[in-house]
Amino acid sequence: MNNSIVYQESELVMLLKQHHETAFSYLYDHYSASLYSVILSIIPDRELSNDILQEVFVKIFRQIETYDSSKGRLFTWMLNIARNASIDALRSKNYQRSQQNRELTENVYERGGSTQTNTDKIGLRKIVNKLKEEYRVLVELSYFEGFTQEEISKMLNIPLGTVKTRLRTALIQLKQVIKT
Amino acid sequence: MDIQAYIQSGIIESYVLGIASAEEVAELEILQLQFPEVAEAVSEFSSSIEEYSLKNAIAPPPVVKSNIMAAIKKEQTFPPVISLPTGAPPTADISAKHYSILRMFAAASVILFLVSGGLNLYLYKQYAQKSGDYRALLAERNSLLVNNQVYQTHLRQWQSAAEMMADPAMAMIKMKGTAGREQNLATIFWNTTNKDVYLMPNKLPHPSKGKQFQLWALVNGKPVDAGMLSPDCEGVCKMKNIPQAQAFAITLENEGGSPTPNMQEMYVLGKV
Repeated sequence: MNNSIVYQESELVMLLKQHHETAFSYLYDHYSASLYSVILSIIPDRELSNDILQEVFVKIFRQIETYDSSKGRLFTWMLNIARNASIDALRSKNYQRSQQNRELTENVYERGGSTQTNTDKIGLRKIVNKLKEEYRVLVELSYFEGFTQEEISKMLNIPLGTVKTRLRTALIQLKQVIKT
Repeated sequence: MDIQAYIQSGIIESYVLGIASAEEVAELEILQLQFPEVAEAVSEFSSSIEEYSLKNAIAPPPVVKSNIMAAIKKEQTFPPVISLPTGAPPTADISAKHYSILRMFAAASVILFLVSGGLNLYLYKQYAQKSGDYRALLAERNSLLVNNQVYQTHLRQWQSAAEMMADPAMAMIKMKGTAGREQNLATIFWNTTNKDVYLMPNKLPHPSKGKQFQLWALVNGKPVDAGMLSPDCEGVCKMKNIPQAQAFAITLENEGGSPTPNMQEMYVLGKV
Protein backbone atom coordinates (compact mmCIF):
# COMPACT_ATOMS: atom_id res chain seq x y z
CA MET A 1 0.00 0.00 0.00
CA ASN A 2 1.33 3.37 -1.00
CA ASN A 3 0.90 5.62 2.01
CA SER A 4 3.29 8.36 0.87
CA ILE A 5 0.43 10.31 -0.69
CA VAL A 6 -2.91 10.84 0.97
CA TYR A 7 -5.69 12.22 -1.20
CA GLN A 8 -8.81 13.95 -0.03
CA GLU A 9 -11.80 12.17 -1.52
CA SER A 10 -12.78 15.21 -3.64
CA GLU A 11 -9.22 15.52 -4.93
CA LEU A 12 -9.04 11.81 -5.69
CA VAL A 13 -12.34 11.93 -7.60
CA MET A 14 -11.14 14.89 -9.65
CA LEU A 15 -7.93 13.05 -10.61
CA LEU A 16 -9.86 9.86 -11.38
CA LYS A 17 -12.16 11.76 -13.70
CA GLN A 18 -9.04 12.83 -15.60
CA HIS A 19 -8.07 9.13 -15.83
CA HIS A 20 -4.99 9.83 -13.74
CA GLU A 21 -3.11 6.56 -13.47
CA THR A 22 -1.43 7.18 -10.11
CA ALA A 23 -4.75 8.18 -8.58
CA PHE A 24 -6.25 4.99 -9.92
CA SER A 25 -3.46 2.94 -8.44
CA TYR A 26 -4.06 4.71 -5.13
CA LEU A 27 -7.77 3.96 -5.37
CA TYR A 28 -6.99 0.31 -5.93
CA ASP A 29 -4.58 0.16 -3.01
CA HIS A 30 -7.09 1.72 -0.66
CA TYR A 31 -10.34 0.09 -1.71
CA SER A 32 -9.61 -3.18 -3.49
CA ALA A 33 -9.57 -5.27 -0.31
CA SER A 34 -12.85 -3.78 0.94
CA LEU A 35 -14.51 -4.34 -2.42
CA TYR A 36 -12.98 -7.83 -2.70
CA SER A 37 -14.69 -8.80 0.55
CA VAL A 38 -17.99 -7.44 -0.80
CA ILE A 39 -17.56 -9.65 -3.88
CA LEU A 40 -16.50 -12.68 -1.81
CA SER A 41 -19.56 -12.30 0.41
CA ILE A 42 -21.65 -12.97 -2.71
CA ILE A 43 -19.39 -15.16 -4.87
CA PRO A 44 -17.64 -18.02 -3.08
CA ASP A 45 -15.40 -18.86 -6.07
CA ARG A 46 -12.02 -17.12 -5.68
CA GLU A 47 -11.03 -17.26 -9.34
CA LEU A 48 -14.35 -15.79 -10.39
CA SER A 49 -14.11 -13.16 -7.64
CA ASN A 50 -10.71 -12.10 -8.99
CA ASP A 51 -12.26 -11.66 -12.42
CA ILE A 52 -15.16 -9.71 -10.99
CA LEU A 53 -12.80 -7.45 -9.03
CA GLN A 54 -10.96 -6.68 -12.26
CA GLU A 55 -14.24 -6.04 -14.04
CA VAL A 56 -15.34 -3.74 -11.21
CA PHE A 57 -12.20 -1.61 -11.38
CA VAL A 58 -12.40 -1.35 -15.17
CA LYS A 59 -16.02 -0.24 -14.75
CA ILE A 60 -15.01 2.31 -12.13
CA PHE A 61 -12.37 3.61 -14.53
CA ARG A 62 -14.87 3.83 -17.42
CA GLN A 63 -17.77 5.23 -15.44
CA ILE A 64 -16.07 7.59 -13.01
CA GLU A 65 -17.44 10.55 -15.06
CA THR A 66 -20.95 9.52 -14.03
CA TYR A 67 -20.12 9.53 -10.30
CA ASP A 68 -21.94 12.40 -8.56
CA SER A 69 -20.50 13.17 -5.11
CA SER A 70 -23.72 14.97 -4.10
CA LYS A 71 -25.53 11.61 -4.14
CA GLY A 72 -23.17 9.80 -1.81
CA ARG A 73 -19.64 8.79 -0.94
CA LEU A 74 -17.25 7.32 -3.50
CA PHE A 75 -17.03 4.04 -1.61
CA THR A 76 -20.81 3.63 -1.60
CA TRP A 77 -20.85 4.14 -5.37
CA MET A 78 -18.09 1.56 -5.84
CA LEU A 79 -19.75 -0.84 -3.39
CA ASN A 80 -22.87 -0.82 -5.53
CA ILE A 81 -20.85 -1.46 -8.69
CA ALA A 82 -19.13 -4.41 -6.99
CA ARG A 83 -22.40 -5.77 -5.62
CA ASN A 84 -24.20 -5.46 -8.98
CA ALA A 85 -21.32 -7.07 -10.86
CA SER A 86 -21.30 -9.97 -8.38
CA ILE A 87 -25.05 -10.48 -8.63
CA ASP A 88 -24.84 -10.37 -12.45
CA ALA A 89 -22.16 -13.07 -12.31
CA LEU A 90 -24.26 -15.08 -9.84
CA ARG A 91 -27.18 -15.00 -12.25
CA SER A 92 -25.16 -15.82 -15.37
CA LYS A 93 -25.85 -19.17 -17.04
CA ASN A 94 -22.15 -20.11 -16.91
CA TYR A 95 -22.04 -19.65 -13.15
CA GLN A 96 -25.20 -21.63 -12.52
CA ARG A 97 -23.91 -24.50 -14.67
CA SER A 98 -20.55 -24.55 -12.86
CA GLN A 99 -22.35 -24.59 -9.52
CA GLN A 100 -24.36 -27.65 -10.57
CA ASN A 101 -21.18 -29.41 -11.64
CA ARG A 102 -19.48 -28.50 -8.38
CA GLU A 103 -22.32 -29.91 -6.32
CA LEU A 104 -22.10 -33.17 -8.27
CA THR A 105 -18.34 -33.54 -7.83
CA GLU A 106 -18.54 -32.58 -4.18
CA ASN A 107 -21.01 -35.32 -3.58
CA VAL A 108 -18.51 -37.81 -4.98
CA TYR A 109 -15.19 -36.56 -3.62
CA GLU A 110 -16.23 -34.46 -0.64
CA ARG A 111 -14.28 -31.23 -0.29
CA GLY A 112 -10.62 -31.22 -1.15
CA GLY A 113 -8.21 -28.49 -2.20
CA SER A 114 -11.12 -26.28 -3.08
CA THR A 115 -10.74 -22.56 -3.78
CA GLN A 116 -14.23 -21.99 -2.43
CA THR A 117 -14.64 -19.41 0.32
CA ASN A 118 -17.06 -19.88 3.14
CA THR A 119 -19.14 -16.79 2.44
CA ASP A 120 -20.76 -16.99 5.88
CA LYS A 121 -17.68 -15.51 7.53
CA ILE A 122 -17.24 -12.64 5.12
CA GLY A 123 -18.24 -9.01 5.26
CA LEU A 124 -21.83 -8.05 5.92
CA ARG A 125 -22.97 -11.66 5.63
CA LYS A 126 -21.21 -12.40 8.90
CA ILE A 127 -23.62 -10.09 10.76
CA VAL A 128 -26.61 -10.75 8.57
CA ASN A 129 -26.38 -14.38 9.63
CA LYS A 130 -26.90 -13.31 13.21
CA LEU A 131 -30.27 -11.77 12.43
CA LYS A 132 -33.54 -13.56 13.10
CA GLU A 133 -34.34 -15.96 10.24
CA GLU A 134 -37.36 -13.96 9.02
CA TYR A 135 -35.09 -10.90 8.68
CA ARG A 136 -32.01 -12.75 7.45
CA VAL A 137 -33.82 -14.29 4.49
CA LEU A 138 -35.02 -10.86 3.33
CA VAL A 139 -31.52 -9.35 3.43
CA GLU A 140 -30.16 -12.46 1.77
CA LEU A 141 -32.59 -12.25 -1.13
CA SER A 142 -32.45 -8.49 -1.59
CA TYR A 143 -28.86 -7.54 -0.83
CA PHE A 144 -26.92 -10.71 -1.69
CA GLU A 145 -29.10 -12.04 -4.49
CA GLY A 146 -30.51 -8.81 -5.90
CA PHE A 147 -34.22 -9.56 -5.95
CA THR A 148 -36.67 -6.65 -5.78
CA GLN A 149 -39.09 -6.37 -2.90
CA GLU A 150 -41.97 -7.27 -5.26
CA GLU A 151 -40.14 -10.41 -6.38
CA ILE A 152 -39.43 -11.40 -2.77
CA SER A 153 -43.07 -10.81 -1.85
CA LYS A 154 -44.12 -13.27 -4.58
CA MET A 155 -41.35 -15.79 -3.85
CA LEU A 156 -42.08 -15.98 -0.13
CA ASN A 157 -45.80 -15.34 -0.46
CA ILE A 158 -45.62 -12.46 2.03
CA PRO A 159 -47.47 -9.15 1.43
CA LEU A 160 -45.26 -6.43 -0.08
CA GLY A 161 -45.89 -4.11 2.89
CA THR A 162 -44.63 -6.77 5.27
CA VAL A 163 -41.53 -7.33 3.16
CA LYS A 164 -40.81 -3.59 3.26
CA THR A 165 -41.23 -3.15 7.03
CA ARG A 166 -39.34 -6.35 7.91
CA LEU A 167 -36.50 -5.47 5.57
CA ARG A 168 -36.20 -1.98 7.05
CA THR A 169 -36.25 -3.36 10.56
CA ALA A 170 -33.54 -5.81 9.56
CA LEU A 171 -31.41 -2.99 8.17
CA ILE A 172 -31.81 -0.88 11.30
CA GLN A 173 -30.64 -3.86 13.35
CA LEU A 174 -27.69 -4.32 10.98
CA LYS A 175 -26.77 -0.69 11.39
CA GLN A 176 -26.66 -1.06 15.15
CA VAL A 177 -24.33 -4.06 14.87
CA ILE A 178 -22.06 -2.31 12.39
CA LYS A 179 -21.73 0.77 14.62
CA THR A 180 -20.57 -1.22 17.63
CA MET B 1 -43.34 15.13 6.75
CA ASP B 2 -41.75 13.89 9.97
CA ILE B 3 -38.18 13.89 8.74
CA GLN B 4 -36.80 12.15 11.82
CA ALA B 5 -39.28 9.28 11.39
CA TYR B 6 -38.24 9.11 7.75
CA ILE B 7 -34.55 8.97 8.66
CA GLN B 8 -35.17 6.23 11.20
CA SER B 9 -37.43 4.18 8.94
CA GLY B 10 -34.54 2.18 7.50
CA ILE B 11 -34.82 3.88 4.12
CA ILE B 12 -31.35 5.45 4.53
CA GLU B 13 -29.80 2.00 4.94
CA SER B 14 -31.64 0.45 2.02
CA TYR B 15 -30.60 3.42 -0.15
CA VAL B 16 -26.93 3.12 0.78
CA LEU B 17 -26.91 -0.67 0.35
CA GLY B 18 -28.55 -0.30 -3.07
CA ILE B 19 -31.72 -2.24 -2.31
CA ALA B 20 -34.20 0.63 -2.33
CA SER B 21 -36.72 0.74 -5.18
CA ALA B 22 -36.38 3.33 -7.94
CA GLU B 23 -39.15 5.49 -6.43
CA GLU B 24 -37.56 5.33 -2.97
CA VAL B 25 -34.22 6.36 -4.47
CA ALA B 26 -35.78 9.29 -6.33
CA GLU B 27 -37.61 10.44 -3.18
CA LEU B 28 -34.52 10.19 -1.02
CA GLU B 29 -32.34 12.08 -3.49
CA ILE B 30 -34.81 14.97 -3.45
CA LEU B 31 -35.17 14.96 0.37
CA GLN B 32 -31.41 14.79 0.70
CA LEU B 33 -31.15 18.15 -1.07
CA GLN B 34 -33.97 19.68 1.02
CA PHE B 35 -33.01 18.34 4.45
CA PRO B 36 -29.37 18.42 5.52
CA GLU B 37 -30.18 15.87 8.23
CA VAL B 38 -31.10 13.32 5.53
CA ALA B 39 -27.82 13.93 3.72
CA GLU B 40 -26.06 13.68 7.08
CA ALA B 41 -27.71 10.32 7.83
CA VAL B 42 -26.78 8.98 4.38
CA SER B 43 -23.20 10.12 4.85
CA GLU B 44 -23.04 8.64 8.33
CA PHE B 45 -24.30 5.19 7.34
CA SER B 46 -22.07 5.24 4.24
CA SER B 47 -19.08 5.94 6.43
CA SER B 48 -19.90 3.15 8.84
CA ILE B 49 -20.34 0.70 5.94
CA GLU B 50 -17.03 1.89 4.53
CA GLU B 51 -15.31 1.45 7.87
CA TYR B 52 -16.91 -1.93 8.41
CA SER B 53 -15.81 -3.07 4.96
CA LEU B 54 -12.30 -1.84 5.60
CA LYS B 55 -12.18 -3.70 8.92
CA ASN B 56 -13.39 -6.87 7.21
CA ALA B 57 -11.32 -6.36 4.06
CA ILE B 58 -9.67 -9.29 2.33
CA ALA B 59 -6.63 -8.52 0.17
CA PRO B 60 -6.98 -9.84 -3.35
CA PRO B 61 -4.01 -11.70 -4.93
CA PRO B 62 -1.36 -9.21 -6.17
CA VAL B 63 -1.72 -10.42 -9.77
CA VAL B 64 -5.19 -8.82 -9.93
CA LYS B 65 -3.73 -5.34 -9.59
CA SER B 66 -1.24 -5.79 -12.42
CA ASN B 67 -4.02 -7.18 -14.61
CA ILE B 68 -6.22 -4.22 -13.81
CA MET B 69 -3.51 -1.64 -14.41
CA ALA B 70 -2.69 -3.31 -17.75
CA ALA B 71 -6.38 -3.34 -18.69
CA ILE B 72 -6.64 0.34 -17.84
CA LYS B 73 -3.60 1.20 -19.95
CA LYS B 74 -5.33 -0.50 -22.88
CA GLU B 75 -8.53 1.39 -22.09
CA GLN B 76 -6.61 4.63 -22.35
CA THR B 77 -5.09 3.61 -25.68
CA PHE B 78 -8.32 2.21 -27.09
CA PRO B 79 -11.25 3.85 -25.33
CA PRO B 80 -14.39 1.76 -25.83
CA VAL B 81 -17.07 3.17 -28.12
CA ILE B 82 -19.72 2.52 -25.50
CA SER B 83 -19.16 1.56 -21.90
CA LEU B 84 -21.52 -1.12 -20.78
CA PRO B 85 -23.13 -0.34 -17.44
CA THR B 86 -23.55 -4.03 -16.60
CA GLY B 87 -22.86 -7.36 -18.23
CA ALA B 88 -20.02 -9.76 -18.83
CA PRO B 89 -16.43 -8.80 -17.94
CA PRO B 90 -15.03 -6.92 -20.92
CA THR B 91 -12.26 -8.68 -22.83
CA ALA B 92 -10.62 -5.37 -23.50
CA ASP B 93 -7.41 -6.60 -25.13
CA ILE B 94 -9.10 -8.82 -27.72
CA SER B 95 -11.88 -6.39 -28.55
CA ALA B 96 -9.40 -3.51 -28.78
CA LYS B 97 -7.22 -5.34 -31.31
CA HIS B 98 -10.21 -6.52 -33.33
CA TYR B 99 -11.68 -3.10 -33.07
CA SER B 100 -8.59 -1.39 -34.43
CA ILE B 101 -8.21 -3.90 -37.28
CA LEU B 102 -11.89 -3.68 -38.11
CA ARG B 103 -11.69 0.07 -37.93
CA MET B 104 -8.78 0.03 -40.36
CA PHE B 105 -10.69 -2.22 -42.73
CA ALA B 106 -13.79 -0.13 -42.36
CA ALA B 107 -11.85 3.07 -43.01
CA ALA B 108 -10.07 1.49 -45.99
CA SER B 109 -13.32 0.25 -47.51
CA VAL B 110 -15.01 3.59 -46.98
CA ILE B 111 -12.10 5.33 -48.70
CA LEU B 112 -12.14 2.80 -51.55
CA PHE B 113 -15.86 3.20 -51.90
CA LEU B 114 -15.62 6.99 -52.04
CA VAL B 115 -12.73 6.89 -54.52
CA SER B 116 -14.52 4.39 -56.73
CA GLY B 117 -17.74 6.40 -56.49
CA GLY B 118 -15.87 9.57 -57.46
CA LEU B 119 -14.13 7.80 -60.32
CA ASN B 120 -17.44 6.41 -61.56
CA LEU B 121 -18.97 9.85 -61.50
CA TYR B 122 -15.97 11.33 -63.33
CA LEU B 123 -15.98 8.56 -65.95
CA TYR B 124 -19.72 8.83 -66.40
CA LYS B 125 -19.44 12.59 -66.98
CA GLN B 126 -16.64 11.99 -69.45
CA TYR B 127 -18.71 9.33 -71.17
CA ALA B 128 -21.78 11.58 -71.33
CA GLN B 129 -19.72 14.44 -72.78
CA LYS B 130 -17.96 12.22 -75.33
CA SER B 131 -21.24 10.64 -76.26
CA GLY B 132 -22.75 14.10 -76.85
CA ASP B 133 -19.67 15.13 -78.83
CA TYR B 134 -19.92 11.97 -80.87
CA ARG B 135 -23.60 12.57 -81.69
CA ALA B 136 -22.83 16.17 -82.70
CA LEU B 137 -20.00 14.98 -84.94
CA LEU B 138 -22.24 12.33 -86.44
CA ALA B 139 -24.91 14.94 -87.25
CA GLU B 140 -22.28 17.26 -88.69
CA ARG B 141 -20.84 14.43 -90.78
CA ASN B 142 -24.32 13.55 -92.08
CA SER B 143 -25.07 17.12 -93.04
CA LEU B 144 -21.65 17.41 -94.72
CA LEU B 145 -22.35 14.18 -96.57
CA VAL B 146 -25.72 15.52 -97.74
CA ASN B 147 -24.14 18.83 -98.78
CA ASN B 148 -21.41 16.88 -100.52
CA GLN B 149 -24.00 14.88 -102.44
CA VAL B 150 -25.77 18.10 -103.37
CA TYR B 151 -22.49 19.57 -104.61
CA GLN B 152 -21.68 16.37 -106.46
CA THR B 153 -25.06 16.52 -108.18
CA HIS B 154 -24.52 20.19 -109.03
CA LEU B 155 -21.04 19.40 -110.26
CA ARG B 156 -22.27 16.51 -112.41
CA GLN B 157 -24.97 18.76 -113.85
CA TRP B 158 -22.43 21.48 -114.61
CA GLN B 159 -20.03 18.91 -116.02
CA SER B 160 -22.66 17.58 -118.39
CA ALA B 161 -23.64 21.18 -119.19
CA ALA B 162 -20.01 22.03 -119.93
CA GLU B 163 -19.62 18.91 -122.11
CA MET B 164 -22.78 19.83 -123.89
CA MET B 165 -21.63 23.41 -124.44
CA ALA B 166 -18.26 22.23 -125.63
CA ASP B 167 -20.00 20.34 -128.46
CA PRO B 168 -19.11 22.21 -131.70
CA ALA B 169 -22.62 21.50 -132.99
CA MET B 170 -24.09 23.45 -130.06
CA ALA B 171 -25.63 26.85 -130.80
CA MET B 172 -26.04 29.30 -127.93
CA ILE B 173 -28.98 31.70 -127.89
CA LYS B 174 -29.18 34.33 -125.21
CA MET B 175 -32.72 35.22 -124.19
CA LYS B 176 -32.82 38.72 -122.77
CA GLY B 177 -35.38 40.22 -120.49
CA THR B 178 -38.40 41.78 -122.19
CA ALA B 179 -39.40 45.43 -121.70
CA GLY B 180 -39.85 46.08 -118.00
CA ARG B 181 -38.16 42.75 -117.16
CA GLU B 182 -34.65 43.58 -118.35
CA GLN B 183 -33.03 42.04 -115.32
CA ASN B 184 -34.09 38.56 -116.47
CA LEU B 185 -31.90 36.30 -118.52
CA ALA B 186 -31.90 32.71 -119.78
CA THR B 187 -29.76 30.82 -122.28
CA ILE B 188 -30.73 28.20 -124.86
CA PHE B 189 -28.28 25.58 -126.06
CA TRP B 190 -29.55 24.06 -129.25
CA ASN B 191 -27.85 21.15 -130.84
CA THR B 192 -27.89 21.91 -134.53
CA THR B 193 -27.25 18.25 -135.37
CA ASN B 194 -29.83 16.36 -133.30
CA LYS B 195 -32.00 19.42 -132.53
CA ASP B 196 -31.97 18.79 -128.72
CA VAL B 197 -32.74 21.94 -126.72
CA TYR B 198 -31.20 22.76 -123.32
CA LEU B 199 -32.23 25.66 -121.12
CA MET B 200 -30.06 27.49 -118.60
CA PRO B 201 -32.28 29.73 -116.42
CA ASN B 202 -29.59 32.31 -115.56
CA LYS B 203 -31.77 34.96 -113.97
CA LEU B 204 -35.42 34.19 -113.55
CA PRO B 205 -37.59 35.06 -110.55
CA HIS B 206 -38.96 32.33 -108.37
CA PRO B 207 -42.43 31.58 -109.79
CA SER B 208 -45.34 32.22 -107.44
CA LYS B 209 -47.41 29.31 -106.24
CA GLY B 210 -49.41 27.56 -108.97
CA LYS B 211 -47.29 29.18 -111.69
CA GLN B 212 -44.54 27.67 -113.82
CA PHE B 213 -42.21 28.95 -116.58
CA GLN B 214 -42.82 27.50 -120.04
CA LEU B 215 -40.37 27.58 -122.97
CA TRP B 216 -41.69 28.37 -126.39
CA ALA B 217 -40.09 27.99 -129.81
CA LEU B 218 -41.28 30.44 -132.43
CA VAL B 219 -41.59 28.43 -135.61
CA ASN B 220 -42.62 30.48 -138.61
CA GLY B 221 -44.38 33.06 -136.39
CA LYS B 222 -46.22 30.42 -134.31
CA PRO B 223 -45.34 29.55 -130.72
CA VAL B 224 -44.61 25.86 -130.20
CA ASP B 225 -44.39 24.36 -126.72
CA ALA B 226 -40.76 23.53 -125.99
CA GLY B 227 -41.33 22.15 -122.49
CA MET B 228 -41.88 23.26 -118.86
CA LEU B 229 -39.05 24.57 -116.74
CA SER B 230 -38.86 22.28 -113.73
CA PRO B 231 -38.61 24.24 -110.46
CA ASP B 232 -35.84 21.79 -109.48
CA CYS B 233 -33.78 22.74 -112.52
CA GLU B 234 -30.22 23.48 -111.52
CA GLY B 235 -27.78 24.59 -114.14
CA VAL B 236 -28.87 23.31 -117.50
CA CYS B 237 -32.01 21.30 -118.17
CA LYS B 238 -32.97 19.35 -121.24
CA MET B 239 -36.13 20.62 -122.93
CA LYS B 240 -38.15 19.27 -125.87
CA ASN B 241 -36.50 18.50 -129.21
CA ILE B 242 -37.15 21.39 -131.58
CA PRO B 243 -36.30 20.66 -135.27
CA GLN B 244 -36.42 24.28 -136.34
CA ALA B 245 -37.18 27.70 -134.83
CA GLN B 246 -36.53 31.39 -135.38
CA ALA B 247 -36.71 32.44 -131.74
CA PHE B 248 -37.20 31.15 -128.20
CA ALA B 249 -39.18 32.77 -125.38
CA ILE B 250 -40.23 31.99 -121.78
CA THR B 251 -43.60 32.93 -120.33
CA LEU B 252 -45.05 32.41 -116.90
CA GLU B 253 -48.05 30.10 -117.18
CA ASN B 254 -50.30 28.14 -114.86
CA GLU B 255 -48.60 25.08 -113.44
CA GLY B 256 -48.45 22.29 -116.00
CA GLY B 257 -48.33 24.67 -118.96
CA SER B 258 -50.71 26.21 -121.53
CA PRO B 259 -51.38 25.37 -125.19
CA THR B 260 -50.75 29.01 -126.12
CA PRO B 261 -48.40 31.48 -124.43
CA ASN B 262 -49.71 34.35 -122.30
CA MET B 263 -47.89 37.18 -124.04
CA GLN B 264 -48.33 39.57 -121.11
CA GLU B 265 -46.25 37.23 -118.96
CA MET B 266 -43.30 36.87 -121.32
CA TYR B 267 -40.09 37.17 -119.33
CA VAL B 268 -37.30 36.59 -121.82
CA LEU B 269 -36.96 36.37 -125.59
CA GLY B 270 -34.02 35.49 -127.87
CA LYS B 271 -33.68 35.23 -131.59
CA VAL B 272 -31.76 32.39 -133.22
